[in-house]
Amino acid sequence: MRNSFWQRERKRKEKVHKDMRGFLWVLPSFLGVMVFYLLPYADVVRRSFLGAVDNRFAGLANYKTVLGNTAFLLAARNTLLFTLLCIPVLILVALFCAVALYKSRYGGIIKSAFLMPMAIPAVSVALLWRVLFHSQGIVNYWLEALGMAGNDWMNTENAFWILLVSYIWKNLGYDIVLWMAGLAGISTNIYEAARVDGAGEGQCFFYITLPNLKPSLYTITVLSFLNSFKVFREAYLVAGDYPHESIYMMQHLFNNWFRNFSFDKMAAAAVLESVVLLVLILLLQKAWDSKDLV
Amino acid sequence: MKHRNLRRAAGLLLAAALVIGTLCGCSGKGSGETTDGGGEGTGSGGSQGNQTQEAGGQAMGRFLEEAVDTGICFANIYDMQKLEDGSIRLIGEDGDTEKDGVWESKDDGKTWNKVFDFPAEVLTNHDKGYVNHAALSPGGQIVCAFNEIVGSGVHQALYLLDKEGKASKIPFEVPKAEDDQTDDFAISNLISNLQFPSDEWVLLADSALETVYQVSVPDGSLKHTYETDMGLGPMPMHSAGNTLILQDESQALLYDLQTGERKDSEEALNKGSNENGRFSVVDTMDRGESIYSISPGGLCRYKFGGSVMERLIDGSMNSLGSPTFYPIALTMLDEQNFLVAAEDANANPETGIALLRYTYSADTLAKPDKELKVYSLYDNKEIRQSVIQFQKEHTDVYVNYEAGLAEDSGMMVSDTLKTLTTEIMAGNGPDVLMLDGMPVETYIEKGILKDLSALLKESGGSYFENITSAYQDGQGQVCAVPARFKIPMIQAEGAYYTQDEDFDAFTARKDTMVNMYPKTVVEKFWFTCGAAWRKDDKTLDEAKITEFLTKLKNAYGEYDSSLDEESTLEYSSTTNNEVVSKLSMGSGDFDLAFGRCHTNFGLRESMDYGMQNEVNKKLEDGIIGLMPGQADRVFVPSMIFGISNKAAQPEAANEFIKYVFSKEAQKLSQSGGFPVEKEAFRNAIDGHVYEGKDVSFAVGGPRGEIIEYDREPTPEKEIAKMTEIAESLITPAFQDDVIKDAVIEQGAKVLKGEISPEEATAAIIKKVNIYLAE
Repeated sequence: MRNSFWQRERKRKEKVHKDMRGFLWVLPSFLGVMVFYLLPYADVVRRSFLGAVDNRFAGLANYKTVLGNTAFLLAARNTLLFTLLCIPVLILVALFCAVALYKSRYGGIIKSAFLMPMAIPAVSVALLWRVLFHSQGIVNYWLEALGMAGNDWMNTENAFWILLVSYIWKNLGYDIVLWMAGLAGISTNIYEAARVDGAGEGQCFFYITLPNLKPSLYTITVLSFLNSFKVFREAYLVAGDYPHESIYMMQHLFNNWFRNFSFDKMAAAAVLESVVLLVLILLLQKAWDSKDLV
Repeated sequence: MKHRNLRRAAGLLLAAALVIGTLCGCSGKGSGETTDGGGEGTGSGGSQGNQTQEAGGQAMGRFLEEAVDTGICFANIYDMQKLEDGSIRLIGEDGDTEKDGVWESKDDGKTWNKVFDFPAEVLTNHDKGYVNHAALSPGGQIVCAFNEIVGSGVHQALYLLDKEGKASKIPFEVPKAEDDQTDDFAISNLISNLQFPSDEWVLLADSALETVYQVSVPDGSLKHTYETDMGLGPMPMHSAGNTLILQDESQALLYDLQTGERKDSEEALNKGSNENGRFSVVDTMDRGESIYSISPGGLCRYKFGGSVMERLIDGSMNSLGSPTFYPIALTMLDEQNFLVAAEDANANPETGIALLRYTYSADTLAKPDKELKVYSLYDNKEIRQSVIQFQKEHTDVYVNYEAGLAEDSGMMVSDTLKTLTTEIMAGNGPDVLMLDGMPVETYIEKGILKDLSALLKESGGSYFENITSAYQDGQGQVCAVPARFKIPMIQAEGAYYTQDEDFDAFTARKDTMVNMYPKTVVEKFWFTCGAAWRKDDKTLDEAKITEFLTKLKNAYGEYDSSLDEESTLEYSSTTNNEVVSKLSMGSGDFDLAFGRCHTNFGLRESMDYGMQNEVNKKLEDGIIGLMPGQADRVFVPSMIFGISNKAAQPEAANEFIKYVFSKEAQKLSQSGGFPVEKEAFRNAIDGHVYEGKDVSFAVGGPRGEIIEYDREPTPEKEIAKMTEIAESLITPAFQDDVIKDAVIEQGAKVLKGEISPEEATAAIIKKVNIYLAE
């Protein structure tokens, strides 16, 4: 009896010791996250209930202001629309390209070519946009040469589609690489066994490739989602603080609020946005987990 | 077990390194910060007499500036030199007698006595010509470049004056430039600079041929010629002992005056002159082994062959760095004392010529421990002047002036404002803000700025309260105050404008704006109309914008497409100083007089009664009044000052603001608009500088016609009229660059006939809606 107690006690201590050791290993990283993310975020939450500069308690007034602000609603709508459209398109196009390249003898070289846009600085991309889509730019010149009417691309609804194509162009290579990494993880034995059983290319793709790429899909979706926020740089460099309303994103709004010392509204909007993001990511994760279980 | 411990130790070590590394990354300021000790007496090989001392951990020792009262009203100073016998001589023009002469001081510049006037028969006969350049040699001789009037042309002759003033001609002719005119109105090639570093020879700079001539004084023979390809205007030429220094933007070329050969360039000299700016004047105390130079950065010392150029005086702390300060001569008395003769309208408002003494004070802090940060978006020479004048009176305060948008930085206004926001919120922001180009109303609304109403009362001036209260809020707080203001005004003949008519009446006429650029027209009328478009809820009144564009188009008439290219070139941006001048009324005076335009309107920021009167006379029934607009009696606040609520030096900031609004500072010669202080306003418009003087001005028109007028004091009646106008102004112009840019862009399209006023209004509203919604 006594012996058993000491054994249990030793096991408990070993477990605590082991847990502590694990905790120590993640401590530096955790401290970094605490200092650079969690504490600033806590401060943002605090500020969302205070005045902009005087720090007086404002209750939920900032949230009410933000939710009634048409600029916020427009930016939120645009950001959501952009995300909902571009991420599925990007993921599907990247998957198609990845599968094609994976089978190709020159896949490695072509894959590098797809990565080139990522190496181009945002400023150069913005310059390219200006040259192409200015009202007196190259695209209009080409159109006029073909006898078609030009357009002030960046000051019409077309700006949204230009932004979308630009995002896909820039991030396609990255997603292809991720998909190809996923493809490389699928054992060739499975394909060989399936083919022996008489499965065709389509069946292999739908019944072997796709199910095995599920873990990659989650990572790619989240990364693409986060990357979609970076498209603001190009939009800002091309059209400044106040672009055409179709490409007015959340970052434009935050940028302008920051310049005008509207920290109260900015903090409330940031909290709202982070809550939405967190919920989306958790839902995504839950959906994946449940599918994995199935 | 052994390995396990090793792994543990390595893991802990790595974790500790990560944590320490992270925390080190968060530390505020690095320890590698360097100082120049306030710019005083630092650097290797520092001058022996004025080494900075440490007292209580603070560097001590600084040159202090004081004006020398010569008792003579110099209208000009050509040169000043310490002679071999220890006396100091200067060549100048006595403003009272209008005669050139030589003065001497035997007590290091404290008292001055006239030695002689230039010989009347040669050099002071204004019918024969005038002295263009003159320089003193160490022995006291003088060489003058005398522009002789020959027929209708000008010919330059060199004269030598000995120590007693006896003149003789130097037989040297400046070679002809290729583009010398040969018709009746011939002007020969003229030298642009003159140096007399030895009694034996003189140096003449010929900018046209980019050549320096070393001419023997006794016989006028050419000793050496130094050719450059700098491609500059007036050639920056200096000499020290046997070294000739020619400067361009990036380097200083050195020549040996004995052999005429080019010397190796010196990296430290080039670096020093790049950092401090091009030398204005140079002197030496050791026959050219080292030089003292004045440049916008201050006073520097450089020993040839040395490794560093040492800055002895920081120009930002005294007149040396002032944008209105143009040094003429530097005379080193010893290592702790020197004199500077300079053109500086603020040092001597009567003649614009100043003689300053700098004395090293070992008991004064090298750099004041109190640092006042002053910030403006654009570099502003008016504020620089105020900063320097303030520092001269407050030696315990170091004013650190920063312009957010430095030239060629490539930064955008928005980015600059964001940086400013970060600094203010981090507690490192400026104490005093000049708010031109910034969102003033937002800053006031957010509580960034302090109430200045009490400070204005303490400043001791009598102000145009209608102007100073431009940004007064509902509680009577004035958190931003314009130090200057501009008035939108118009001048035209009776057929195109009647006194004080409104916007409807003015725009009912056609062709009142012929030959004017669309964007400039829209921007000028933006000032007088924009304020009327704002509704109480801060949105814009669409109907009024449409009405504005419709009426403006009616008055503008058909667009002349030949103006298109010029318009593009002429109109580059909206808020920098260069373009503000294009919005000024002064830019169109002569267009109106010569009939190129039917009206001249814009922002009035100064008054030249002679010109205004002459243009009115030329128009026969010329009239001048407030520019019509949808808003009533508009003024444009300029040089708007505020104090940050988070100021680190609130006391010094208060003192600075009080100084900026003091009569003295308001009277400084500035171009940022009319002063808000009434006495200074009168001083700015009364033309007192022309009192008793015969100053005439002539301008040629495009068809060969000439307008000639005298600059004269403004009559009392006109002063009263202008003061009455200033007092009557009630509406501050709407200053919002986002809305203004949208209006100018779309408004120009309307004037060009590309879109209708309704389409333009819709585009403007669409563009600014997001902005207003934020």
